[in-house]
Amino acid sequence: MTKRIAMAQLTSCWGCDQSLLDLHLGLLEVLPELEIVFWPAVVDFKIKDLESMPDESIHIGLVEGSCRTEDDVRLLNLMRAKSKILVAWGVCSCYGGIQGLANQWELDELVDRKFMKADTVTDPRIPSENVPAFVPQVRPNVDVVKFNILLPGCPPTSKNIVEALAAILTGKPFDLPEKSVCDQCPKVKQDKHITKFHRSHEGRIDPSKCLLDQGYLCLGFATIGFCGAICPTVNSPCKGCFGPVLRVKDHGAKIVSALGAIAEMEPEQLKDSFPDPIGSFYFTDYAASYLSRMRDKARSKKK
Amino acid sequence: MPTGVTNSLTAAGHKATSSQRQKARGEKDFEPRILAFCCNWCSYAGADLAGTSRRQMPPNVRIIRVNCTGRVDPSFILDALNQGADGVLISGCHPGDCHYTSGNLKMKSRFALLQKVLEEAGFEPERIHLQWASAAEGDVFTEGITSMVERIKALGPNPARKD
Repeated sequence: MTKRIAMAQLTSCWGCDQSLLDLHLGLLEVLPELEIVFWPAVVDFKIKDLESMPDESIHIGLVEGSCRTEDDVRLLNLMRAKSKILVAWGVCSCYGGIQGLANQWELDELVDRKFMKADTVTDPRIPSENVPAFVPQVRPNVDVVKFNILLPGCPPTSKNIVEALAAILTGKPFDLPEKSVCDQCPKVKQDKHITKFHRSHEGRIDPSKCLLDQGYLCLGFATIGFCGAICPTVNSPCKGCFGPVLRVKDHGAKIVSALGAIAEMEPEQLKDSFPDPIGSFYFTDYAASYLSRMRDKARSKKK
Repeated sequence: MPTGVTNSLTAAGHKATSSQRQKARGEKDFEPRILAFCCNWCSYAGADLAGTSRRQMPPNVRIIRVNCTGRVDPSFILDALNQGADGVLISGCHPGDCHYTSGNLKMKSRFALLQKVLEEAGFEPERIHLQWASAAEGDVFTEGITSMVERIKALGPNPARKD
């Protein structure tokens, strides 16, 4: 029996769809098992198509992106109602994504910066017609509805997606790995003696040695080992885009904890090494952090 | 933090009446709730000494004993603030005196970074404070607690605090 699958996009770059399509001919192995009932990224489905389906009539619902608009929230709730197994597809869906970094500012500041003050804007005005309203902050989707499976990644690799789909189709459990990116990284790790942090374009990288040991901010130690260490393997420091290691509640706090312990430098020098610590330490999961939740509470209290 | 207990204590340490409790919520009579992580070897003993020496200090601080300030993960501090603590104090051994040689220095580095993260997120970095107080320094501990309470009173309640 084929399984009915729906893929919904909230606020996101749709890179998770790209990653699925990157399977190329590999898709042929999965497609006969699936009946696609909703996929606006590829075919012109409308929301009323989804609304007209009976509840729990979709076997697998993949939700990509996070809720930045009221329409996103509506679509997310709709997907939950219609799907038996709901998958948080990508790190935006799991932890809020890069757009979660916007939670550092208030909505009016964001709208002003984006529509009125951006360098490329020639006709500054705030769109008000035929657009959904923004929500005041990005909350992780898992705080809004219940998900059955988390599939983090920015995007999850094609292999991750096909493994998750295969598990669902065969009824096997799908568990995220307990390991970190460092566990998957082939580079030689030694005792750490970091006296200075470099930007990734500075200096010359020794391709055989651990990037962190060489003073590059590689976040593999705090990041879930789900990607196969694709970035550090090709000498690009891990940005932590797959989110924290399992059971770590706050990605950035864990990174601060580790850096404080391994950097052999004065606290002031360490502090000055990172001009934008939130952007560096919470690249794709700020919306799920304690700090963002605190700001959220403060915001709702103000109202 | 058991809210039933913390809400019913006023500065004088007496049970508050419901009207007093109501009042305490206003910014004017704001009584901060502060969490202190004290290391087992220096500051916790220092706090004990302050107590046995009958030193007076405001009762706004709840102490959690940890083996070393190096054991205090920054996520503990953020979790406390997220749960509504108005301030978090970390108190450990003087540099060079750490029972585990360098746990306090690790905390010092983490603390510098964490303050910057807190400030970038839009919160006052003074809500968290790091101090050194040895087992013999009951007076330093008392002074640290008193000034922490004053500092947080000046800042006002944690904006994320539930009323």
